[in-house]
Amino acid sequence: MSDQLFAGLKVVDCASFIAAPLAATVLSDFGADVIKIEPPGEGDAYRRLHANPGTPKSNVDYAWMHGARNKRGIALDLKTPQGLGVLHRLVDKADVFITNLPLPVRRRMKVGYEDLSPRNPRLIYASFTAYGEAGEEADKTGFDSTAYWARSGLMDQVRADSNSLPARSVAGMGDHPCSIALYAAIVTGLFKRQATGKGGLVSSSLLANGLWSNAFLVQARLTGATIPPRPPREESMTATSNMYRTRDERWFNLAMVNDEKQFPILVATLGRPGLSSDPRFTTTELRRANVRALMAELDDLFAQFDLAYLRKTLDAAGITFGFVGTVDEALHDRQMRDAGAIVPMADGKGETISSPFQIEGTTKVAPKPAPAIGQHTDEILREYGFADAEISAMREARAVA
Amino acid sequence: MAAGLFAGLRVIDCASFIAAPAAATIFSDFGADVIKVEPTGEGDLYRSLHTRPGSPMVNRDYAWILDNRNKRGLALDLKSERGHEVLARLVEKADVFITNMPFPVRRKLRTGYDDLKHLNPRLIYASFTAYGEDGPEAEKTGFDSTAYWARSGLMDMVRPDADAVPARSAPGMGDHPSAVALYGAIMTALWRREKTGVGGHVDTSLVANGLWSNSYLVQAKLIGAEFPPRPKRTHVLNPLSNSYRCKDGRWFILSMVNEARQYAPFMHAIGLVHLTEKYAVQADRQTNSPELIEIYDKVFAEKTLEEWRKILDAAGITFGIVNTLDDLLADDQARHARVIVPFEDKSGETISSPFNLDGETKRPPAEAPSVGQHTNEILREHGYNDAEIRKLRETKAVA
Repeated sequence: MSDQLFAGLKVVDCASFIAAPLAATVLSDFGADVIKIEPPGEGDAYRRLHANPGTPKSNVDYAWMHGARNKRGIALDLKTPQGLGVLHRLVDKADVFITNLPLPVRRRMKVGYEDLSPRNPRLIYASFTAYGEAGEEADKTGFDSTAYWARSGLMDQVRADSNSLPARSVAGMGDHPCSIALYAAIVTGLFKRQATGKGGLVSSSLLANGLWSNAFLVQARLTGATIPPRPPREESMTATSNMYRTRDERWFNLAMVNDEKQFPILVATLGRPGLSSDPRFTTTELRRANVRALMAELDDLFAQFDLAYLRKTLDAAGITFGFVGTVDEALHDRQMRDAGAIVPMADGKGETISSPFQIEGTTKVAPKPAPAIGQHTDEILREYGFADAEISAMREARAVA
Repeated sequence: MAAGLFAGLRVIDCASFIAAPAAATIFSDFGADVIKVEPTGEGDLYRSLHTRPGSPMVNRDYAWILDNRNKRGLALDLKSERGHEVLARLVEKADVFITNMPFPVRRKLRTGYDDLKHLNPRLIYASFTAYGEDGPEAEKTGFDSTAYWARSGLMDMVRPDADAVPARSAPGMGDHPSAVALYGAIMTALWRREKTGVGGHVDTSLVANGLWSNSYLVQAKLIGAEFPPRPKRTHVLNPLSNSYRCKDGRWFILSMVNEARQYAPFMHAIGLVHLTEKYAVQADRQTNSPELIEIYDKVFAEKTLEEWRKILDAAGITFGIVNTLDDLLADDQARHARVIVPFEDKSGETISSPFNLDGETKRPPAEAPSVGQHTNEILREHGYNDAEIRKLRETKAVA
């Protein structure tokens, strides 16, 4: 695929789960050759997540399908000298090496930056951790529910109101944005390499991304602001930026930043023009002062219509609102497909979620299937100069699988 | 600021609010020269967000100092011919142009890709939208609460349980990750430009990023997986993956992905060694989950978060503290990891861009500009003499 942006770029994905490996997936979307290294036997622990109780049930490993698309799989036991030897050969020719092994594990296995970069001065070594590369907690393990969601203050803040329970994050909702940060760091490193000829260490972490996501409130606190307690929606201070329920029991977010202009349009469109000339609601200040009364009116008003009607009508009137979509609706959401956010698999059987940005003039690879464990072991070893006899010996020694 | 990876790179931030401008902020962290173009008068509407009812209160524009640090401010009336000419001059010399104007506005102000690309074949034009560049909703406005949080299914799924009211997102929690995607896209085009000599158009959107964030569940839905009901926390299937409340009202989340290894040490550490065997089999823990959660609830209510932290850390258990914003004021790790960093003038701290390059020191964050703070300086750099500048000011094309 020679018009592919990253055609010829060699990426070694020596990581597990989501945040680090998905950076390689984004590179693969743009044509990079990604080799996925997994331990022999059960492979990447991410393969088993979909079988956990409480997660969606299917025979298809949907998580693996999305996260490992386009990659070639080799199973290596990096604790054996032969396995490590294979890794060295891959690294010697690689452009990018990605890992999220905890720092102490990297030291023990001799796959840290200090171990691998001397072998290949052009290598971009991409390191992902839970809490960062330095500091007392740098060696700790974490997941996006802990280090991105809970640690950053997001979990404490994202609730219906201050008295309701903190909400659980959903699987990967922090990891996936992190993968974009790691991707961005890698491309920045590649850009720098174009000028200097040298690679280097790039890094990101769950903590850094969780705080970046929550930066508005964190900055407020750092600046000494008082964070108001979150009131239940019935006690909210703004009626024109709030959640409402429709006749068919669907929620949506009204987000009227310019309510001076939009409030009259909203109420006229829905057949209650009198509300905008109601002396309680004629200006922004009055609408805030009389928020309880206005919310009661809007609660009544929206409860008269189904979501589909409101969507059509308010969209046409240019009112900014967003319905609370369900994942069911993603099955039929045309906009998501027109925007290139959901794309068909290369074999036409199914769809997946694309990397969340586009580069004009370059077509992304149509997503190819994710590999079975060690599916491409032989092919890769041969490519890297191992003879058949060596390959057999390594298989016997269980250094590869 | 001549130092840093992007020394000499010129970025025009012709956008508002968070997602698109914060991509420029990341460039500024690595030394790029970022010009913030704002409308004359009140400037970017983002400046007033902190005064809205319900926003955190303090007499400093914390939002502005975060997302517009390091930038130079130019105020232009893009509706005027002269104002547009100034923009054109900037674009001719720029490397990157960033906008999140809705398409109808870009058409009116002639700031679309087709309007500007002929000025500079090396320009990277970075477009940010709510719903994408094509399709029936491409012209709609949106915010991260609507297009990232609500539309993607995140808002529907992230609740304590299915009966609870959906939670509102925290301000900017979708915008900021989206900014990283836009930065990543621009970076990709800059990398390409080194090889081809040509710029181009890159884009991302709130909905694309919301879906990417929620892609585990969306992919499950796309292949027809069966979704389990979401029980209340007292009845979740796996008691070792749940949140618990301590004596002082603080919460933490247990997140034991490697239960086989951590279960027994965990039970020992929390004083339940006598029950270890009873619940040793994972299937038994799950069948008896409500009972076990009740036991854990009682145990954890006996000590404070700080006490439990020490105990669980010592036992090597994976857990996370539900931090409050107050806690972050004293979070050492965030500072050691260079995630929270001081402003250059020591007037306070801010949150750094979420990745690092070894060997690259980010510039210490400098203050964000007031409206039109650098107008004269920027105009002079672009060849306007004093008389011309006066004229532009008189006609209100600039401020």
